[in-house]
Amino acid sequence: MPETTDREITVKDFKGHINPDWCPGCGDFGVLNVLQRSLAEMNIAPEDVMIVSGIGCSSNLPGFINTYGMHTLHGRSLPIAQGFKLANHGMHVIACGGDGDGLGIGVGHLIHSMRRNVDMTYIIMDNSIYGLTTGQTSPTSGFNMKTKSTPFGNPELPVNPMALAISAGCSFVARGFSGNPKQLVEIYKAAIKHKGFAFIDTFSPCVTFNKVNTAQYYRENTYDIQEDGHDSSDMQAAFARAMEDGKIGTGIFYQKERPTYETPEKETFDIPLVDQPLGVDEKLASELNAQFL
Amino acid sequence: MSEKRNVIVRIAGAAGDGIASTGELFGKTCSRMGLHVMAYNSYQSAIRGGHVWLQLNVGEEKTRCHGEQPEVALLLNKTSPEVHIPDMKPGGIVFYDVSKIKDDLTVMRDDLNYYALDFKALCDFEGTSPVMVNVMLAGALIQAIGLDTSVGMEFFEEKFSKKGQEIVDVNQKVFNAGIEWAKENVKDFSVALKGDGTKRMFLTGNDAFGMGFIAGGLKSYAAYPMSPATGILHYLSKQAKKCKLLVKQTEDELAAANFIIGSGQAGVRAATATAGGGFCLMVEALGLAGMLEVPTVFVSVMRGGPSTGIPTKQEQADIKLVMGGNGDFPRIVIAPKDTDDAFVQAARALNLAEKYQVPVIILSDLFLSEHYQTVDPFDFSKVTIERGKYMRELPKDAARYKRYEVTDDGISPRLVPGHEGHMYCSGSDEHDEDGELVSDILAGLPRAKEVRLKMHPKRMRKEETMLKENDVLPPEITGPADAKLTLMGWGSTFDYIEDACETLRADGLSVNHLHFTDLYPMDKEKVKEILRSCNEIVAVENNMTNQMCKLILGETGFEITRSINRFDGEPFTGEYIVNEVKKKELINA
Ligand SMILES: Cc1ncc(C[n+]2csc(CCOP(=O)(O)OP(=O)(O)O)c2C)c(N)n1
Ligand code: SF4
Ligand SMILES: [Mg+2]
Repeated sequence: MPETTDREITVKDFKGHINPDWCPGCGDFGVLNVLQRSLAEMNIAPEDVMIVSGIGCSSNLPGFINTYGMHTLHGRSLPIAQGFKLANHGMHVIACGGDGDGLGIGVGHLIHSMRRNVDMTYIIMDNSIYGLTTGQTSPTSGFNMKTKSTPFGNPELPVNPMALAISAGCSFVARGFSGNPKQLVEIYKAAIKHKGFAFIDTFSPCVTFNKVNTAQYYRENTYDIQEDGHDSSDMQAAFARAMEDGKIGTGIFYQKERPTYETPEKETFDIPLVDQPLGVDEKLASELNAQFL
Repeated sequence: MSEKRNVIVRIAGAAGDGIASTGELFGKTCSRMGLHVMAYNSYQSAIRGGHVWLQLNVGEEKTRCHGEQPEVALLLNKTSPEVHIPDMKPGGIVFYDVSKIKDDLTVMRDDLNYYALDFKALCDFEGTSPVMVNVMLAGALIQAIGLDTSVGMEFFEEKFSKKGQEIVDVNQKVFNAGIEWAKENVKDFSVALKGDGTKRMFLTGNDAFGMGFIAGGLKSYAAYPMSPATGILHYLSKQAKKCKLLVKQTEDELAAANFIIGSGQAGVRAATATAGGGFCLMVEALGLAGMLEVPTVFVSVMRGGPSTGIPTKQEQADIKLVMGGNGDFPRIVIAPKDTDDAFVQAARALNLAEKYQVPVIILSDLFLSEHYQTVDPFDFSKVTIERGKYMRELPKDAARYKRYEVTDDGISPRLVPGHEGHMYCSGSDEHDEDGELVSDILAGLPRAKEVRLKMHPKRMRKEETMLKENDVLPPEITGPADAKLTLMGWGSTFDYIEDACETLRADGLSVNHLHFTDLYPMDKEKVKEILRSCNEIVAVENNMTNQMCKLILGETGFEITRSINRFDGEPFTGEYIVNEVKKKELINA
């Protein structure tokens, strides 16, 4: 289990030395700020954190925060993050990226990561549009929404990330909004603390290419499910919240810890793989040969 | 008879007739007696109940080839005779069971000896079932050619003791029935091969790759099943606990390739394996490993292509594929020549990947990966682990750490994540020495161009360093240097071409063999010099279009214009190559 540190950590420790090049007003600023705050409030040292992203505006985040980072391929942050985490479980691993990255090109990995339950956090910065490629439809674009690739309206239904996650066996399922940092910081902290795969779909409006799912829209159309008395240990209730029409719930939909991927393989993961000696001794070598004699 | 003390055995039947277990029993019998075996499995999709056969060449000396004409055959089903009787060597012997094959086989050929056993009559005791026909026939075969029957008895103990003593007993009894029958009835065939008493391992190339990886310090392995690469996944999964390995079957090849990049970045040795189709899905990640400079090893096992192709058949047609990917990035491509080499190259690939911080591709093929053969136990003590510029700690007085520092040899010091004050972000976009992207804020500015012109050559320079440091094996010539004809091959054809050369030389022809194990990078000048030193070169490629010749032409400008090709789905044999050399009149004595 990754540790917190004795050093006193503040938000400043996470300040990157490059200023984000997101459009002024982009929702991703809010996600970055809240993530920095969450880590600082948990007193996690920056060098104990690895942030892995895919490709998209949102996936630029690791370049703007002072932790270890990998900015990789479109849709592939999750396998990379898991390969990293299982090789060095002494670090906190956070994957992040866009709705296209996680729910379009990378959705296969998402489902399997959820059932696999490696101890890590995954943040989708959901703007219901492809930002970096200048405004095409995304898997969370609404039905009939007009985008550059659907000028006559989106003919497909959007995916429901909450219902998808709950049904895929995700052990921590939450939704937040970058314009509500007070709630989001609590969600992120709970997610990072959660032992297992924690997924947070975070509304993060694109001010440039999405004129429908704006910050204003989310302020008017979301409500806090915890304030509404939701019991996040109740899977049926979580499904019901996920399937609601009308107002959109935010908060922790479902959380239940279960053994993480690493747990059954105690022998292998007693100390992080990266700290283990390499190669085999003479005894093991002759055992390996003997299997074929 | 000839001084070559060997015998070629073929075991044939339908999928499900127990070919594999008969082969294992027979192979183990030989390997434990100190004989040498080279086996090749010719199979089709098992689901369609296709016809399957296994050919084993057993010899007192190392056997390089599974051979062409069997001298002994064990036929397990009705369709076997029409497929295999025509292939037999005159005077050969054939075993079968009368309940499976009812035809009069002498009509097909009368120059063979047929032995029809009757399972129902010979094995009429408690607990037998017709699925054990192969066990009885194996007993007869092993007795008939004078091998040690006690290994078979041990084999049943080892294999079935977990299932209960009755199962062991009944197998031994059935086996023995075959032995006794052969003692009485088979008289005129005695090769009586004598082993040297040294126990050898009997395994596949995939097993050898797995062992080489473990010897070389592999820690993380991720793969998606695809024949003929799956054997490595099976082998490593079995050893995972004992050897403290992370072995992960991922959701697809995209995940497997990217997973090992994550592990490599964390600082552990990581590898994946797949077949050509799966490698296609990995190519984007291959470039990522090149760009992020993450040590990774990709085994790509060739099978008949294109597309899903001939999934269970042999081909060597993926050089173009493993040289693929968008843009330029440094890489190493190694095509091991045999089972021993599979062990050596797997461990070496892990070293090279870390030394140069690049993806290393091991290009295997169905034949090398899946055929069984006897080899001496691997010498793990010869494997060294060299980690290059790998660091867990930064020296106290070190200057500010830059993950992608520009160096003369192109290799930057590699401090793995987890240290205060030295954080970096590795980016797939072009980046500077710190890893910071020049694609966004700096795009279009002179500084971006400047960074690009520094960083891209820095990475590519590693290929020059590999050559300078003699980390690339030059092609080797075996046989007389001034031979009139040179047979050029690469990867797993090594033994076949050697075998062909021996036969041709015995026939008085002047031939030698030029073999490539390391395919890329290529030392242009050295290779050109070697090629020019040959009199007449004929390429031997298990593909239709001479992909190796094209690689050589592209790298050196040297064109090889004559070739022997095989792309019917089968591996070469020495005999096949010899026949082609003679048929095409490639050489006159
Ligand atoms: C394999 C591949 N296909 C396509 C692209 C082009 N591409 C880059 S980002 C992107 C989508 C971005 O949308 P999203 O993931 O939602 O991120 P956002 O920019 O909205 O934050 C696409 C299609 C790519 N980089 N790689
Ligand atoms: S295009 Fe949209 S998502 Fe991208 S930075 Fe601008 S506002 Fe943000
Ligand atoms: Mg998006």
